[in-house]
Amino acid sequence: MSGDMRTEDKEAVAEGTVLVLGGSGYLGRAVSLALDAAGWDVVALSRSGTAAAGRGVRGDVTRHNLGLSGDEAAALRGSVTRIVSCFGSVDWSAGPATALDLHAAGVRTMLRFARDCPGLGGLVHVSSLLAFGRAEGVVGNRELYVGQTFRNWYEYGKYHAEALVREARDLPITTIRFGPLLGPDPSGAPLNAADGLPAVLPYLVQGYPVHLRDGGRFPSYAGDVACAAELVGRAVARPAAGATWTWYDPDLPTVSEVLHRLCRPWGVVPKIVDWPAVGRLQRLVAGRIGLPKALLDYAEPWFQIDPAVLSALPGGIPRCRPGYLDATGAALRAPDADLQGSFV
Amino acid sequence: MTGRFPEIDIDAHPRFSVYSAGNLGEVAPQRLSPMSWSLVGTPMERGTRRLVRRIWGDRPWGQGDHYVFLGYFGCKPYHNLSAYAHLARQLPRVAPEDVADAYFEGVAAPQTAARRESGYNRMAAVPRLVRELGRLGPTLRRLEEDVFLVEQHARTAIGLRSEAGLAETLLRAADLLDDAWATHIITTTGLVPLTVVQRAVNKRLLGSYGEVEPWLNRPRELVWSRLHDFAGDEGALLPGEFLNSSFYEVADDQMPWRQFAVRHKAVTEGNANARGLVDPAEAQWGMLGGVRGRVVQSIARVIGETMSSREHSKSLVMRLLHVHRRTLPVLAELWSVDAGVWPYLTIEEFRRLYREPGLADQVPARRAACERAIVTPMPEHLDLGGAAPRSWADDAPKQARGVSPGRVTGVVVHAEDDLPEDVPCILVCESADADVAPLLGFVDGVLTQRGSDMSHIAILSREYHLPAVVGCALVKDLKPGDTVTIDGTTGEVYVER
Repeated sequence: MSGDMRTEDKEAVAEGTVLVLGGSGYLGRAVSLALDAAGWDVVALSRSGTAAAGRGVRGDVTRHNLGLSGDEAAALRGSVTRIVSCFGSVDWSAGPATALDLHAAGVRTMLRFARDCPGLGGLVHVSSLLAFGRAEGVVGNRELYVGQTFRNWYEYGKYHAEALVREARDLPITTIRFGPLLGPDPSGAPLNAADGLPAVLPYLVQGYPVHLRDGGRFPSYAGDVACAAELVGRAVARPAAGATWTWYDPDLPTVSEVLHRLCRPWGVVPKIVDWPAVGRLQRLVAGRIGLPKALLDYAEPWFQIDPAVLSALPGGIPRCRPGYLDATGAALRAPDADLQGSFV
Repeated sequence: MTGRFPEIDIDAHPRFSVYSAGNLGEVAPQRLSPMSWSLVGTPMERGTRRLVRRIWGDRPWGQGDHYVFLGYFGCKPYHNLSAYAHLARQLPRVAPEDVADAYFEGVAAPQTAARRESGYNRMAAVPRLVRELGRLGPTLRRLEEDVFLVEQHARTAIGLRSEAGLAETLLRAADLLDDAWATHIITTTGLVPLTVVQRAVNKRLLGSYGEVEPWLNRPRELVWSRLHDFAGDEGALLPGEFLNSSFYEVADDQMPWRQFAVRHKAVTEGNANARGLVDPAEAQWGMLGGVRGRVVQSIARVIGETMSSREHSKSLVMRLLHVHRRTLPVLAELWSVDAGVWPYLTIEEFRRLYREPGLADQVPARRAACERAIVTPMPEHLDLGGAAPRSWADDAPKQARGVSPGRVTGVVVHAEDDLPEDVPCILVCESADADVAPLLGFVDGVLTQRGSDMSHIAILSREYHLPAVVGCALVKDLKPGDTVTIDGTTGEVYVER
């Protein structure tokens, strides 16, 4: 599992500049905060140019030079010692162009930029366990393509991006795979719950039933965003070139448990049933009742991750903040959360 | 003769008056010798008429003692856009704009006053066209064998300098050329209604059209890669030898035709881009389950196979033209005809030359006509419906369009340049044909000034999974070393500073 990992033995020293691509996103904000707290000089690049910590820079990972002017790009190349890729959309309904332009073309741009950074000591690529799609059998850090099919273009985009990263053996890249990330935003920003698992909440909270195989008693591989950011910080501090790490909540909450906890602040017990007929009906009427069709593809067990991936993490297994799932629900119920619009 | 262009011109169609270089303008030389025209335009016309006859029967709009579907004015080959627009209207749900988008760079399709076939005839045409498409595989296999035999026959005849053998080669090649062009016309025509069907079906089954189809409509394997491996030594007349010559022009070693011949540099060494990723089309199949997925998949596969057949039939045509390229000079020499004469004759005239040597006496006048013609500027789109010829539309492409999806940033390279190592590069050229196929494994994108949705370069780019944008007016301003970003989905092109 960890045979290909070449973690530097020297003690981590937070010196230098970390370029966080997608720094205004959910994970990007958390990573920026964590790195800033660890003493790194953080430059957060995003299309909005905002930053939770450090300096925000307006750019675009799908454009040449990350969308920066020649001078800006040259200055950044000269100062950057680490790069973290947190960019990406978690839109499971996105089409191929959107998914591939962002994930594949964005990664290519990032790799090209990284190759021109003379002081680059490490690059952390954030991938997703969903890159395994509908993989069968037990999968771990070594595997990427095991003959799986993909549920949507997001999964394929993440797979494609990670494959490109694996080919870039000339760069000191650590790949970290996460499952669905939840938890309150460490920067205090409202949650955007239009995509991913929380997108089903409006439907559940209104009392409609949802079909899940075995009542949703299969692993969700969810994790706390703050812990994920901490792990990214660990990889930034101690680059493990060529290594792939996988992390999820070691308590392994099931999909059913996640949905129950997310619904709790509304005082609602989600109606999760194991009735394929309901699933078929939902597929027929999904568009009319505002249920994202892409979510219905996650009603079956996803894949099986080798538990040994957690023990392979250098520095121990990060533990999630207690109650982060309940806190996510509470954050989603907050008046400023994007989810509120879905209940109209 | 029209009397409005040099007398080498054909008669313009009396009712279908708008001509466009269209797909020929992208891939064929800007001017063709009369010999090449008789090997390209005339059999293509015969092939299109044959298709019309098989599908709709003998129709006034598809026949006559003038060319209907092709044109040759000022030594420039044209398609008759009006005739193709009219042909499009004879199929259910197909509009002239579909043809214009597929093969005429999106130029406005003209209205024609010719009567449309009845609804019954339009519907009845569908199974007949399907039958024609269903015959493509066996036809191409037969042609492949026969063309190979003709190539070997030509090689032997040239080696022996046998008049009889060479004359027989031309006779054998004539029928095969007709068949190969007819097959090419079937594939070219068939792709338009197939995409229309796909649009209708996918809108119903997927709820949208245009997003996933560019990723799905890919030929699995085109014939060009194999042919480039079979180029062989010059004179061996191996199947791929024609790739070292200009396409379409058989007199490409003679002036003035040589100046119009296009030859790209072929790369034969180095490592092509390795692609071990799961194909997006394969990924899409996994996302579409059940009957719905199988229907979408089947249509896309049929379109991909038809694209392959289109390229295959074109390669057979080019091989037969190459047989003429090698045979004609030798036979002319054996018949004591001056080497500069045969490009000014049609192939029918050349075959009669031995029995009617006086035909060669017409050549000086025709040569003079051609010399006048080739210095006459000719528009890309031509309206001959008025008192005087006029341009039908602006020659410049309307807008850049993505024809093979994906987004890439790279350094501009031209086909004749050495390709830079270790940096992504984008092949930039005015137009491109299958002769750039060897380059495609070494570049990361394609950008051309000319092109349509179903251009050969569009099909090739799809096979190689390269983002491609055609119809980009910026091309002429780009220099090697510039950095550009192209989006093969939206057609956007950014010049990076």
